[in-house]
Amino acid sequence: MTDSGDERPVSTPKRQRTTTLNGSANGYENGELSVGASPSKRIKLTPQKPSAATPVALKESGLKTPTQKSRAKALFSTPTKATAVSTPSRARNADRSAKKKSARLLLEQDDEEDWDGADRLAEEILQDEDDVTAAENGNDVVETVEAGDEANKAAQTPKRRAGRPKGAKNKRSPTPEGELPAHERYFFQNRAGPPRTSNNTLNKISLLTHEEYFEKMAQYEDPCKEEKAFLLDVHHRSFPQWNFEFEQGYNICLYGYGSKRPLLQNFAEWLYQKNRSTPPSIVVVNGHTPNISIRSIFATIVTAMLGADIPSKMGSQSIEVLELLQSVLKSRSSQRPITVLINSVDAPPLRKAANQALLARLAATPKIHLLVTADTPNYLLMWDISLRDQFNFVFHDCTTFAPFGTEFDVVEEVHNLLGRKGRRVGGKEGVEFVLQSLPENARNLYRLLLTEIISMFDEGHNSDDELDGRAGRDGDGKDDIGIEFRALYQKATEEFIASSEMMFRTLLKEFHDHQMITSRLDPSGMEILGVPLPRDEMEGVLEDLVLS
Amino acid sequence: MELDTETQGVAKDGSNTQGVYIYQPAKPHGERPSKRRKVQPENKEQKTESHLFVPLLDGEENESSIELRYNAYQQLWSTQEKKIQETLNDVDSEVLENVLSFVRSTSHQTYDGCIPTALITVGSNVSSLGRLLSKLNDQLTASEEGGVVILESGDAPNLKATLKNIIRAAITNTEGNDGYQKFLTDREGPRLLGYDLDLLGDYVKRKGAKKLVVAFRDSEAFDPNILIDLLSLLSSWLDRIPFTLLFGISTSVELFEGRLPRSSVALLRGRYFEIHGASNCVDRMYERLQADQNGRFWLGRNITGVLFEKSNDYFQTPEAFSRTVKYAYMTHFFANPLAMLLSDEVSVNRQQVKLCEAIRNLPSFRRFCEHLLDDASPEQVHSLLENDEFLFQQSLKYIEIGQQQMRGIFKAVKAIHLCLKGMDVRKKSTMSDLSIRALSGELQDSTYMDDLLRGLKTLNSSMLKEFLSFMPQDLTNCPEFQEIKSDFKALLQTYQGTEPLRSEYDSHNSVVQQRVKLSRGKAKLPQQNIEYTKVIDRVHALSERYFVETLVRPQELFLHEAFLLDMKNPLKETFSPRPRFAIERALASPFDYLISMSDRTEAKISARQPATAILYQLYLESGALVNVYDLWQAFYAVFESEQGNACDERMTMTLFYRAVSELKALGMLKSSRKKVDHAAKSAWIGL
Repeated sequence: MTDSGDERPVSTPKRQRTTTLNGSANGYENGELSVGASPSKRIKLTPQKPSAATPVALKESGLKTPTQKSRAKALFSTPTKATAVSTPSRARNADRSAKKKSARLLLEQDDEEDWDGADRLAEEILQDEDDVTAAENGNDVVETVEAGDEANKAAQTPKRRAGRPKGAKNKRSPTPEGELPAHERYFFQNRAGPPRTSNNTLNKISLLTHEEYFEKMAQYEDPCKEEKAFLLDVHHRSFPQWNFEFEQGYNICLYGYGSKRPLLQNFAEWLYQKNRSTPPSIVVVNGHTPNISIRSIFATIVTAMLGADIPSKMGSQSIEVLELLQSVLKSRSSQRPITVLINSVDAPPLRKAANQALLARLAATPKIHLLVTADTPNYLLMWDISLRDQFNFVFHDCTTFAPFGTEFDVVEEVHNLLGRKGRRVGGKEGVEFVLQSLPENARNLYRLLLTEIISMFDEGHNSDDELDGRAGRDGDGKDDIGIEFRALYQKATEEFIASSEMMFRTLLKEFHDHQMITSRLDPSGMEILGVPLPRDEMEGVLEDLVLS
Repeated sequence: MELDTETQGVAKDGSNTQGVYIYQPAKPHGERPSKRRKVQPENKEQKTESHLFVPLLDGEENESSIELRYNAYQQLWSTQEKKIQETLNDVDSEVLENVLSFVRSTSHQTYDGCIPTALITVGSNVSSLGRLLSKLNDQLTASEEGGVVILESGDAPNLKATLKNIIRAAITNTEGNDGYQKFLTDREGPRLLGYDLDLLGDYVKRKGAKKLVVAFRDSEAFDPNILIDLLSLLSSWLDRIPFTLLFGISTSVELFEGRLPRSSVALLRGRYFEIHGASNCVDRMYERLQADQNGRFWLGRNITGVLFEKSNDYFQTPEAFSRTVKYAYMTHFFANPLAMLLSDEVSVNRQQVKLCEAIRNLPSFRRFCEHLLDDASPEQVHSLLENDEFLFQQSLKYIEIGQQQMRGIFKAVKAIHLCLKGMDVRKKSTMSDLSIRALSGELQDSTYMDDLLRGLKTLNSSMLKEFLSFMPQDLTNCPEFQEIKSDFKALLQTYQGTEPLRSEYDSHNSVVQQRVKLSRGKAKLPQQNIEYTKVIDRVHALSERYFVETLVRPQELFLHEAFLLDMKNPLKETFSPRPRFAIERALASPFDYLISMSDRTEAKISARQPATAILYQLYLESGALVNVYDLWQAFYAVFESEQGNACDERMTMTLFYRAVSELKALGMLKSSRKKVDHAAKSAWIGL
């Protein structure tokens, strides 16, 4: 609803163009005409009516992507737009603002009537005043204002057209957002009230798979390649400076946007080139590597120092290895400094306070030159004053704009963010492949699980309100549907699939390992088991299971 | 992961998938970055293989100048560092003495079986405890009395690990790591576990150690339960191992005691020590560095401001302070070719065409020439501009003069500081305040100066005597001062009264009663007091003249660029970075960083920007909850509008994925369960 209402104020002034593109825009046209035709009447209408009309517009415009494309193109041809508005008649201006207002009213009635009527009223009044003053100023002024407005709108249209209501909010708000100070903007964007975003979901588009992502990435040509290379070159020029800072006993911390891994690689190479006769020992750490341990870092440094004659037993705790490291450094006065380069010291595996304390001790060791890079904006919070003291950092802004290609799994991260973890299994085929290699019992259990969940889907549709209660998750609440652990166990014993809980758990573990089931605790503390597949795929798997 | 490396071709040797590895240079292949760099090292290698400094002045600086700069830095900083070290030692020496004598004099016998315990409150001065402990350890190990085991809260996850750490640290402290391993294995009888205090008992017996200090650096951070167990265990071993405990406390002793049950507290007995705040220490360090009699290089007012701002906010330990100062010195000598003029070894024949050119480009040189022109000596200006040799000579001469004047300034500042302290003026003046004003040339007109000169007039004779002793040498050496002094002496000799002499200005004193008394005294106005008033007047006039002369604006001195460093940056950026600002700026206006080759200036979002920057700018406009689908549509529209039909939707989606994942990694987006396919916004720009 929000979506369609939102689109209208943008699209109304462009009606002419849309009609010229009429052929492809029929669905949209309908929705628009219904509103545009009788603006004056609409204002007085009850909120229910427009909302009854809008779903049609929403669905059709949403589904017809070609329509949207052509419209977007039209919206973005800013120069043409300027000429189009260059000679607006006063009547048209008035007409337009009336339309805008009506559309706005519709929108507000839809989702805000129930809670901020006063606010809206104030806005309305203010808006009216604006119009009046504009009218008083005469035609010329109106024209220029409108032109500026138009250009502005053109820049913003992509956001708004896509149904992000804060664009509309900008228009509605008495204070334009661009000029807000930071804290005001925070409060503005965090105003109370229901979330005012559209109900679009990503179901309309097919998400990327790993393969497709990498395939596309390989073809990608960066438009800013030269600039990035130049930026990197600027950073290269400070290598001698960093080296000097090392020599003077400082450690270095690089921050700023972009992956700094290539930069570090180059620095290591530079250090090598500089002292070609006596190559320095450089240890490189990749902080984003999962399961990386501080101990392995220390152990590698010891290896770098001692080469072949490392002690057979280094100790199992990181602190022991660190002490070994320190005593070796102390005893070997001729030892040349070791350079340790840590990529992403603020990466999740290294982020823990205990790890940082150990790294700080390493940094405080003489003859250890530590260079770390930090990617997140708030990494400084990891260190208190005494850790900062031990680290003895000098900080350099090394914004590189380089993509974080190797640091983390992009597709996985995005799907995680969207709560679509299940994509990983490889969908239906993957599950079936795993099932084939499992024993009869396991397959039976999975069949049971699927049957239960699918039957719950059907029940779920009958009691829709219950689903809605769950934080507004409607149609897509599949992820949340699951069967309670005990109940499944009960059923499994009844069908002689598992005779003991031990056995039952062993079977489940197999599924877990292949990410074929999900498990979570519901608010009452019960364990709920689910299947990370969309419903149709579940049905497919079940069918195959039963048939085989 | 493998997929990553395969398709992207970033990893050369699989190093990206490894967590830790020892760097091996890649085989030189035809990659562009390595090619470019190959040129640089080559010409550098011949000249400055081992040199840390790079040639300045467009790379045309010759080697000997680089050498001079480097040596000048080394020399200068080593003397300064010594001073800092002395100050630091001096500051803690008293506490150290006390703690040491406490450790030596107490034992469980003297305390009826309680563990001797020293409680040290450090307040904000966190680093001082570490310093103190390492000195204590040095002293104890040097005299073979025992040693100090320093425990941090991280070393004590549970009792076993804590004991193991104590034992290992105690033994490695004197025996080294190998010694510890040997100690563990070379034993008769069954092998003991690493956390068996028998090991430590054995070690104490073998070494004949009399004291074993266990220091808890951050006692507040320890788990009280572990601490309780540990205390009871240690106290039961007290007859075999001579423990002394030492707690570093940042809050207060009462809070510390409150965290432990009475039974544990009853096991301890001892004394309480206090380490004083850091600011005093920093002030003293600054004074020693800047107001040194033989100073050759100074930090300007901006840097001083940065330094003290941080220390006053307790964001900086004295060590960090000294490091910041060191960094300032480093930047000057690393990046300023004029710094070579500060070297001892610089002489007339070291001149260089480029350097002379650089001098001529200085703002202070221009001002200097204008002065000379005003003084009607155009020939001199002419030869300064034409004759390199003459210029160089003059530069050396004026550097000397400038340094002399800087020393003078600080002498005056020191004198003012002492005098104000002696006169107990209402407003507290610190050396740093005064220095900041002096360095910006404002001290002369400041209230401090008013206070001083007004106060001077009201001094009585005994205070004046003291006051005169504070006066810097430059002033006391001048004949006029000598004359006044001898007159003053003569006056005092003739005066026999017990009350000190007062000048007629003394009636300005604020206390009413005194004024009554004094106005009566003034009525009489004995001859000697009139004489005294005259002396006071002369002193006043003389010191006023002196201060006006001395307290020049350092920025007006010729060649001050060489001996005065006064840039907030890079110091501020280097030590108090603003990473969040940097990232936000990079994303919000990427072309601040990506300096365009072609001159297109785009303020608005465009497909030419990096994907993440585009997404971030869209994100900025969103509310607290973002519909990812709509975000994607907006993102796509940006590309579509520019590329038209050539726009590849899947490619754009790939970029979108990358951008979303980066925003998530930066902590700006997080998943939200409020609505399906929505993400929550978690960072607002500029906050």
